[in-house]
Amino acid sequence: MSHKLQRLLPIFVVGALVLAACGGGEIGGDESEAPESQGTDSSEAAAPSEAAFPEGDIEIELWTKEGDPQIEYVEALADAYTAEHANVTINVVNKDVEVLREDLVNTALAPESAPELVWTVADHVGPFTSAGVIQELDGKVDTAGYEEGALAAVQVDGTTWGIPISNGNQLMLYYNKSIVGEEPPADTDELIATATENTGDGSFGLVFNETESFWLTPWLAGFGTSVFEDDGTTPNLDTPEMQAALEFLYDLKYTEEVMPGEADYTIASDLFTSGDAAMIVNGDWELGNYADQLGDDLGVAPLPTVTSTGLDPAPYTAGSFYMVPSAIEGDTLTVVLDFISWSTSTENQIQMVEELRRLPANLEALEDPIVTDDPLLAGAAEAVQRGTPQPTNVEMRCVFDAMNTGIRDVLGAGNSDFASVTADMQAAAENCVATL
Amino acid sequence: MDVDRSVAALSEVLFTLAIFAVGIAILEGVLYVILVRWLKARLALPILLIAPALVGLTALIIYPLVWELNVSFTNMSLNRLCDPGFPAGLLAECRGEPMFIGLDNYINVFTRPVLQVAGFFQVFWQTILWTVINVAFHVGLGLGLALLLNRHLRLKGVYRALIVLPWAIPQIVSLAVWRTELNAEFGMVNQLLSLIGISGPSWMTDPFWNFFAMIMVNVWLGVPFMMVLLLGGLQSIPADLYEAAEIDGASSRQSFRHITLPLLRPVLVPSVILGTVWTFNNFNVPFVINQLELETSDTLVTGLFRAAFQYNRYGFAGAYAFVVFAVLLVFVIVYVRRSGALRGAYE
Repeated sequence: MSHKLQRLLPIFVVGALVLAACGGGEIGGDESEAPESQGTDSSEAAAPSEAAFPEGDIEIELWTKEGDPQIEYVEALADAYTAEHANVTINVVNKDVEVLREDLVNTALAPESAPELVWTVADHVGPFTSAGVIQELDGKVDTAGYEEGALAAVQVDGTTWGIPISNGNQLMLYYNKSIVGEEPPADTDELIATATENTGDGSFGLVFNETESFWLTPWLAGFGTSVFEDDGTTPNLDTPEMQAALEFLYDLKYTEEVMPGEADYTIASDLFTSGDAAMIVNGDWELGNYADQLGDDLGVAPLPTVTSTGLDPAPYTAGSFYMVPSAIEGDTLTVVLDFISWSTSTENQIQMVEELRRLPANLEALEDPIVTDDPLLAGAAEAVQRGTPQPTNVEMRCVFDAMNTGIRDVLGAGNSDFASVTADMQAAAENCVATL
Repeated sequence: MDVDRSVAALSEVLFTLAIFAVGIAILEGVLYVILVRWLKARLALPILLIAPALVGLTALIIYPLVWELNVSFTNMSLNRLCDPGFPAGLLAECRGEPMFIGLDNYINVFTRPVLQVAGFFQVFWQTILWTVINVAFHVGLGLGLALLLNRHLRLKGVYRALIVLPWAIPQIVSLAVWRTELNAEFGMVNQLLSLIGISGPSWMTDPFWNFFAMIMVNVWLGVPFMMVLLLGGLQSIPADLYEAAEIDGASSRQSFRHITLPLLRPVLVPSVILGTVWTFNNFNVPFVINQLELETSDTLVTGLFRAAFQYNRYGFAGAYAFVVFAVLLVFVIVYVRRSGALRGAYE
């Protein structure tokens, strides 16, 4: 071996040892230890009422699913909090619901990129706890003041993983009274008749987001089926009832022709607010926006009974929830928990009702006249009562993805071979569950 | 504009750049001492010059690739989000199960769906179709436009600027606009078609038309770049060769076949290779235009993204990535050899 190479050899050996020591990134914690199946527990922070408020500068990044215009409320909430606590900065970042889910799960591989707080939907509990990216909140926030049904949506095996901000998240029927009249359709035959009357010259009788399976789910109960078998985890998508539900939606678009050619969330909502759609199936999160746009012309009602079965559709209910990433601890966690408690206090929940027209999760706020005396909120409350708690297990993710493919195939591509569609949905869901 | 936040962000960037500068200075200093003072190496200067880039490549490309290969032999997924460590999870367990699963992921790439229902070979053939059609149009239209512009033409500069415009606009902006305008009901494309009596298709929901839309948009985006490359190659061909051919009675077709194409080969062949690899690996266009995630419009690369970040199948995605890499590597090797790309123009 040449003299120079002999002199270089020790350097290479040292370099190789250094690289080997640096190899294998850590995923939040000990390398050899798997995260617990239900996330991690950072219990170092005391309950806010017991600890003095931290004095150092605290920066909080809040990821929220709320887009325009609802994000203005979130930003106002953050500004109000930081006005009371000058050492705290809250940066509100909007992310699409699915993007938020993907991004937070991916923080398991890069914990330093996680935000300090998340404002999202209940069905994210499944993937987030599987990935170990959120922490349990029992003992950290006083949950006695929240509506039980809302809290139950983020409880897994008795452990609480989120704090409810609003109660509901249900789909319901909004209608324009100046087009439809005072009374909403009572069943699906009336729905079709009303929609047909009001379709033509660029207007449509009924619109909804045709690209996401969340808009399919309410009709499943109306046709007598559900997405899981009795064990709650085995997908149950290839059924005659599911085919009937898909056929109903197909008929609305292709047989009765009361819907536009293509409509995603934005197009459907814009058609309704511009008066070019008589009715829309959308969530309670738009109640405030639609009330501002349509004023007294806005009507709200539960989804109409399915005439052929006599069953009521049952939209999934959950709400919006705070969830805390598992990496957050110490003073930052103390401030985050304090913000959660403060922002869901009775006073702020009543403010939320005024701004967003959503049902609060705070029990005292639910009994306030601002809720009980509001006809729109009464309609929303009736819709919630007909709803069913959304499953939050991780298999639900597979079911939603599989049904997305199905509804896009039926409503988008116009595939009327419903048996084949449901068979594909079932296969997709089973394949996904097997690879979780 | 929040001035404080902007200043804070700028400070972070400058601090990071300062760290890089100090790091490079230290690296260069150490290498100088070792290579110049101690070893008196002949290649000290080249090594000193490329060392920072090599460190960057190692950190940003080589190490992630090695890590990805490592993960591809494990069952890392949403429910098994544990650190497998080196080598390949052989010493690691997650939820009581060993993480190392050998070649299972590589086998699953070919035997199980890579998307929700679609298998590898379906997506592979879709990718081949996508690549071949795009490259054919890129080269054909690009060469045609280059030939047109490689002559005396008034306002040639204006035409060139207009043709290059799709390339100049940030791609994601173009794609966002295209996606909006391809809406079947309210998009500009169908509204223009309706003016001439054509009922526009459902670009976003119909499997055939969505694939067509992807190709259409990508051709629009890719032709300018190919045109610029080929125009440069055409301009390097000596004009007296054409004059000599004309004197000898050659037709324009003969000139094109016997002068233009052979002399353009050193530019054309690398362009085709680049175009093929870039199109094969193109993520933006298939992902944005295929907004509704039609599996008939997915390519290997978008499928890979979904496997990793939507379905959280990290180990599987690692194996899938290396399969895609192997496909491209085989193509490049075979194509370079068959086309004689490494031969000079006058050999």
